[in-house]
Amino acid sequence: MKFSNAKTALSAIAFSLVLAAPTSAKALDWPQIEAQAKGQTVYFNAWGGGEAINAYIAWAAKEVQARYGVTVQHVKITDAAEVVKRVQTEMAAGRTTDGSVDLMWVNGENFRNLKSNGLLYGPWAEALPSWGLVDLKKPVRSDFSVPTEGFEAPWGTAQLTFIANKAVTPVPPRSAAELLTFAKANPGRVSYPKPPDFHGTTFLKQLLLNLTPAPALLQQPVTPQAFASATPALWAYLDQLHPSLWRAGIAFPASAAAMHRMLADGELKMSLTFNPNEAANLIASRQLPSSAYSFGWTQGTIGNVHFVAIPANARAKAGAQVFANFLLSAPAQAHKADTRVWGDGSVLDVSKLPPDLQALMRNKAPGALTESVPTLAEPHASWVEALETEWLKRYGAR
Amino acid sequence: MLSIKNLTLRCGSQTLLEHLSLEIGPGEIVTLTGPSGCGKSTLLNWLLGHLDAAFQASGSAQLNGRSLDGLAIEARCIGILFQDDLLFAHLSVGQNLAFALPAAVKGAQRRQRVAQTLAEIGLEGFAERDPATLSGGQRARVSLMRALLAQPQALLLDEPFSRLDAALKVQFRSFVFEQIARLRIPTLLVTHDLADVPPGGRVFDISTWQPQHV
Amino acid sequence: MAHAERHPLGATLALALVGLVFVPLLPGLLWAMGPSLSASVWQALLTDPQFAQALLATLVSSLFGTLLACLMAAGLATRLYPSPAWQRLQQRLPLLLSVPHAAFAVGLFFLIAPSGWLARATGYFLSWASPPEWVTVQDPYGLSLALALAFKESWFLLWVLAGVLGEQAVARQMAVARSLGYSAAQTWRLVLWPQVAPRLGWPVAAAFAYSLSVVDMALILGPGNPPTLAVLTWHWLSDPDARLQTQGGAASMVLLALFSVSAALAYSGWRAWVQRRAYPTGQRLPAVQRPWPWQAPVLGVGYAALGALVVWSVAQSWFFPALWPDAVTWDNWRYADAAPFWTTLWLALAVSLLCLPVVLIWLEWGPKQLNAVLYAPLILPALPLVAAQYAVLLHLRLDASLLALVWSHLLWVLPYMLLTLVGAYRAFDARLMTSARALGCSQLQACLRVKWPLLLRPLLLAWAVGFAVSVAQYLPTLFAGGGRFATVTTEAVALSAGGSRQVLAVQALLQVLLPLAAFALAFSLVRLRSRNRQGLR
Repeated sequence: MKFSNAKTALSAIAFSLVLAAPTSAKALDWPQIEAQAKGQTVYFNAWGGGEAINAYIAWAAKEVQARYGVTVQHVKITDAAEVVKRVQTEMAAGRTTDGSVDLMWVNGENFRNLKSNGLLYGPWAEALPSWGLVDLKKPVRSDFSVPTEGFEAPWGTAQLTFIANKAVTPVPPRSAAELLTFAKANPGRVSYPKPPDFHGTTFLKQLLLNLTPAPALLQQPVTPQAFASATPALWAYLDQLHPSLWRAGIAFPASAAAMHRMLADGELKMSLTFNPNEAANLIASRQLPSSAYSFGWTQGTIGNVHFVAIPANARAKAGAQVFANFLLSAPAQAHKADTRVWGDGSVLDVSKLPPDLQALMRNKAPGALTESVPTLAEPHASWVEALETEWLKRYGAR
Repeated sequence: MLSIKNLTLRCGSQTLLEHLSLEIGPGEIVTLTGPSGCGKSTLLNWLLGHLDAAFQASGSAQLNGRSLDGLAIEARCIGILFQDDLLFAHLSVGQNLAFALPAAVKGAQRRQRVAQTLAEIGLEGFAERDPATLSGGQRARVSLMRALLAQPQALLLDEPFSRLDAALKVQFRSFVFEQIARLRIPTLLVTHDLADVPPGGRVFDISTWQPQHV
Repeated sequence: MAHAERHPLGATLALALVGLVFVPLLPGLLWAMGPSLSASVWQALLTDPQFAQALLATLVSSLFGTLLACLMAAGLATRLYPSPAWQRLQQRLPLLLSVPHAAFAVGLFFLIAPSGWLARATGYFLSWASPPEWVTVQDPYGLSLALALAFKESWFLLWVLAGVLGEQAVARQMAVARSLGYSAAQTWRLVLWPQVAPRLGWPVAAAFAYSLSVVDMALILGPGNPPTLAVLTWHWLSDPDARLQTQGGAASMVLLALFSVSAALAYSGWRAWVQRRAYPTGQRLPAVQRPWPWQAPVLGVGYAALGALVVWSVAQSWFFPALWPDAVTWDNWRYADAAPFWTTLWLALAVSLLCLPVVLIWLEWGPKQLNAVLYAPLILPALPLVAAQYAVLLHLRLDASLLALVWSHLLWVLPYMLLTLVGAYRAFDARLMTSARALGCSQLQACLRVKWPLLLRPLLLAWAVGFAVSVAQYLPTLFAGGGRFATVTTEAVALSAGGSRQVLAVQALLQVLLPLAAFALAFSLVRLRSRNRQGLR
């Protein structure tokens, strides 16, 4: 009797241990992951169009090499859609275990593309040790209204910011209507990057949010009817705007970086970026005159969180997770938020950080965005492709 | 008559020829001999007006009373025959000859003259032929007639027989001398083969005018 | 030149080595363009809103560019040959020839952009505060691209012309024709051009094929909205959407068709003109003196572009309308990213050193009739070939590897090396080999100990040319390298889209310095080796 009781007790304990295993196994697995990661090479596919960003990634790679023995190679890309293609092609060709991409910087419609086609490894993001520091009040679990479900880890925050030159434009336009007036007063000196460049697309979304009669529709997946009712105001606005633009709207700058260059020389009077501290970086690296400053729109500008994700066929999944964990860690996030380095907003809860790191994140360099601009939520990811296709159809070729 | 007065040819600091004076009468063939590379061809180039920029020359030349100094090649009326026949490959044999005919000969007369000339050199009916299909001897003959059809007032021969084999050489040589005698133009022949000297013609060794130093 | 005995082992080796580079292209072409053979793809292509304008931009830039290049080269040759100025021109060409296309495009961009040096110089006199609204770069019809192509290709054509006109027979033909009473200009028109022009046929075809398919120069100087057809094809081929990929394959075929049709038209036009050639009238026209100095802008633009690169690379901050940088600094060089430089260096070394023995084996033992096949990559638009290579690599799962990168470069380095070496090889006195073999060497030994050492100068020159070609490659590095390998060329093109002009100038100059270093090395090695051996020079 005693024995059978003991047996039941033992099996009960064993069963509860098994039940408990997943949660404590997560905590246990991390050292295993670190051990696996040692010696691996992680190919991190990330946008290479910003020198401050490239320098930060190089710093992070060096740190991770020193601390965990993981080699990180920054593969510079111009558009995350390229990486989506590569992963898609590889998976379609049956290459399911040794893909060429281990970790990618991604968000929005590219993430949606990957996730809905089952091309992502996961879930893994919420099992990272650094997850505990993340500020859950920020939209870190929903990417352009698509739930992340742990398939991507947050990396930083971004907010659409405009840059101008105080010597030339002391009072900037702060809404779509003001922009139209400004463009007409300064013909040939305003423009935006050509979609599907993501800065250009975001500018379109910004205008749409400012002009559309039905903003709520934008948070839902796009349908032909929703598109037809929400966007006419945008196209009418653009039809009015384009003749006053640079090169009369027949040609557009290829990227935001090209626009920064044109702003520096005075060819354009305005540029835009996702990083509120980009102007400060550019002034420091002598790409913009010291009279450049950042500003936002009165009603707010689009803000989002950007992430890193692991493709399903990644070769170095453990190494990728270790690197992602480092990127999410307090020292890395603080270094990233330091405006002397990159100035990209952190996804961590600042109150959970030690004071010296908090101080780093409060540095403001000249040229950075000093005013507080409300953040507008991104439309649903499916709107991106619809907007880009329609824009290309209307203005893509002249 | 072709006369050269006090010609000195220099290549940089090196003097090739000095104080060369020569007079060639109508129909006369003067031969210049000597080893290669000592200025024979350069002298011909100078007379032609085609002196390479690496050389400097001082002296004067006159042709039939007309001074040649400063005249462009095309204004000198001096014909030249090189070792290679240099027939224009893109033109037929007849067109090569017609190229040389003066513009005064017009229309159908041009073809007649060409046909006549070809008959004279034993190449009747060759007017439409591609020069590359002719034998070496035939090409040499066409080349000479081309030079002569342009009615030059003097003729320069730069080792024109050296590429031909022995039998052909003798034949072609006598043909050339015949034509020159017929047209009575002063000719300067440059060669390193003494057998090329025409009977009774003056021969000069180029060393006569080379600087006397070791 | 024919060897008395056939060497089956040598021939097999030659064919095998060359086959490794070329044969995989055949299935690759099938995989890359097979799916594009359906009517729906063609319909989608032709109705794509960007297609018509892109096609127009491509036609304008390549036809106009090549035509202008021919006119510039012909004009210079007619004006300058055979004077000392022509010799000086010949001496200056190698420097400009070794400037890769992308670097020249960047330099030209720095010159003629609305905020470029030319605008700043003009603005200096006209007191401009902001850049003019010129459409000098990235214009919708590709005229600035045509201009860049024209200058670059004119140097190449001049170099070919220099070789052809350097032959003694040509010089003497000029003397003969002029002695018949024709002026220099008439001699060119009636005698020299009809004979020289056919020999320019292949170089002009190669230049035209390049301009049809050029992507790096088009990204820097060509239109953006829509881009040229080559850039559009490249975007489609790299797109996630499989439908657009097949559309890209169809567009590659359009590029091939454009080339073939233009070449056929040009050739039949030439033949028709030859047929209509009039019987010589004997008309002698007086010489015409054309006083303006043609040569200054043709070479001058090249030097100005290089100058712009140099100044930008040492500039601290340099905003419009300043004519000179605010301050000069070496920081741009000191903190330059050296990784692309080293990648380019080892890649070019590996490719050129691998290619040299292959070319030598082919020239010695390979069947000469197949040389035409090896020259094909020179005169075909590059995009279809690169797409084929990528398809093969994907099938073999070798893409984005070092091996893939080196292999893909071989396809272009091999023809250039062959072209450089074939003349000297054929002109080699066969009796030297016969003597060596009579002294007891096998053919291989005779090659190793007699022939190839004697061909040192052409060999090293060919190596330097192969090195330079590898440095300048853009599309193969992107496709076969899977975007993993950054060379100075890919860096320069990527940076030209935006970002620091100083960094861009440094990378573009590195792109120029690498081939120059290779040529300098080749020439000094020749000089070293031929110190006591005049016959090797």
